[in-house]
Amino acid sequence: MQLTRLNRGVQPALAAATASLLANCGAHAEDEAENAFVDSGLLFYQESDRVRAIEPNLNFNYDFGGGELLSLGFVADSVTGATPLGAVAAPVKQTFIRPISVKSNSSTQTVTSASGGATVVTIPPPPGSPAATIVAASTTVGANRLPLDQGFNDTRYAGTLGWVEPITPDLKLSLGGAYSSEQDYRSLSGNLGLAQDFNAHNTTVSLGVNYENDRSSPIGGTPTPFASMSGSWKNGNRSKDEINALVGLTQVMSRRWLTSFNYSYAWSNGYQTDPYKLVSVVDGTTGLPGDYLYENRPDKRRKQSVFWENRIHLPSDVVDVSMRYYWDDWSLRSFTIEGRYRFVFDGYYAEPLVRWYRQEAASFFRYYLVQSQALPQYASADTRLGNFDATTAGVKFGLQLDKSSELNLRVAYYLQQGDNHPAGAVGQLKNQNLFPDLDAVSVVVGYSFAF
Amino acid sequence: MKHNSANCSTRRASCRCERRAGAALGAAILLALGGCSSIGAKPWERDLMAQKVMQLDAYPLESAMDQHIYFSKEGSSGGRTYAGGGCGCN
Repeated sequence: MQLTRLNRGVQPALAAATASLLANCGAHAEDEAENAFVDSGLLFYQESDRVRAIEPNLNFNYDFGGGELLSLGFVADSVTGATPLGAVAAPVKQTFIRPISVKSNSSTQTVTSASGGATVVTIPPPPGSPAATIVAASTTVGANRLPLDQGFNDTRYAGTLGWVEPITPDLKLSLGGAYSSEQDYRSLSGNLGLAQDFNAHNTTVSLGVNYENDRSSPIGGTPTPFASMSGSWKNGNRSKDEINALVGLTQVMSRRWLTSFNYSYAWSNGYQTDPYKLVSVVDGTTGLPGDYLYENRPDKRRKQSVFWENRIHLPSDVVDVSMRYYWDDWSLRSFTIEGRYRFVFDGYYAEPLVRWYRQEAASFFRYYLVQSQALPQYASADTRLGNFDATTAGVKFGLQLDKSSELNLRVAYYLQQGDNHPAGAVGQLKNQNLFPDLDAVSVVVGYSFAF
Repeated sequence: MKHNSANCSTRRASCRCERRAGAALGAAILLALGGCSSIGAKPWERDLMAQKVMQLDAYPLESAMDQHIYFSKEGSSGGRTYAGGGCGCN
């Protein structure tokens, strides 16, 4: 039973409190109490010709007895490769410039070296300015090629802390916090949750609130929305606050069937634009790019979702099906359905999984802007805000090494397909693939044990 | 201007529809739970629910990694847990 309680994560402290309430009334399957539980995982993620990420994760949980549970987590995330700039392809060479680092000493503008397919250029601050020298990457993209930011490279470190405290045998309080830091972004959050058990531990109602404060400090400064692309100094840091409330209902339907329903509401206010993304401004007849503007998104966003999950224990196998409908006031909508089926064998399991995702674009998503037309209030060519379908297919294998330790391996393939030839494209853009497929392979190796 | 008004009105109708759909789904679940006295498991029937695989967040690290990938590649997030991403990847 101790082991069952310890098989909880740090990240969703509210889920931990909910699940531990349900588990408290479980069978006393384990006779030896183990107070500490370690969960580790290593993610390898590789997109075709784009981003590569390596992400080690470690969680440590300690049960102090009486339902008090401490959780600590650590993540390091190293990302390299190429990511789309937002600009459209053209039948001519295109040159883009992006700040990549800052130097404290000033120097004259010179071409110094080449890096990751880009030419590195140093740009001194204006005379009399206290600012430091900026180092920018100038990339030339060949004709009919999707403009990619070739020098993308970042490392993120994040930590989480959680505590679950029983108030009564049926009511648990959870507290948590998270800190994440990368070269140009910092996120700080705290959460508070309550989980109340009813109906002889068959029903749990949970309430949770999370507050997050993010600070964006783009290298070279934050561009002015809709300003033309440049490698020069820009504005200062920007921040964003987000409050997220979550209401959940978890119900044991029978000995074999568990169902859970969540409603989530999030309100964010502040800088939500991607400071590195561009929008091409093209000629209304030829479709050739004449300018590149920094994108501009609204600074407020209200997000809502409903999520429903069912887990059913068949005579030996286990099936899990979950669905989510998401909507927000950027007019972005999505529907997700995910299924897993675990074939259970003696001491090991195999678990195929499938996920399907459909997204309807945000109202301000544009593949490009047209020179002769007035600027809209907001615009982004980031295809993550566009119309697309995404499918994930994979399989996980798990090996029970002993009563409290498990080794597992999961391999999954992700494919994202959008509207690559949208109706109404102008001039040469009719011949360009405006939404190339994105595909990626991920491999996760996990090892967990209790002691 | 006319175009914007049409957009707003469509959006308002869409919001009303989504609110009603959410309320109807919630009401249906509550009715189902309240109207059926045989749902649930007796204390001596908890053997399967006590297994790790039956916990809703049995593999939190895997969930967190999935969330991170999808948050960085798609426009929506959250549902199972909070919607925030905690990173500058989107």
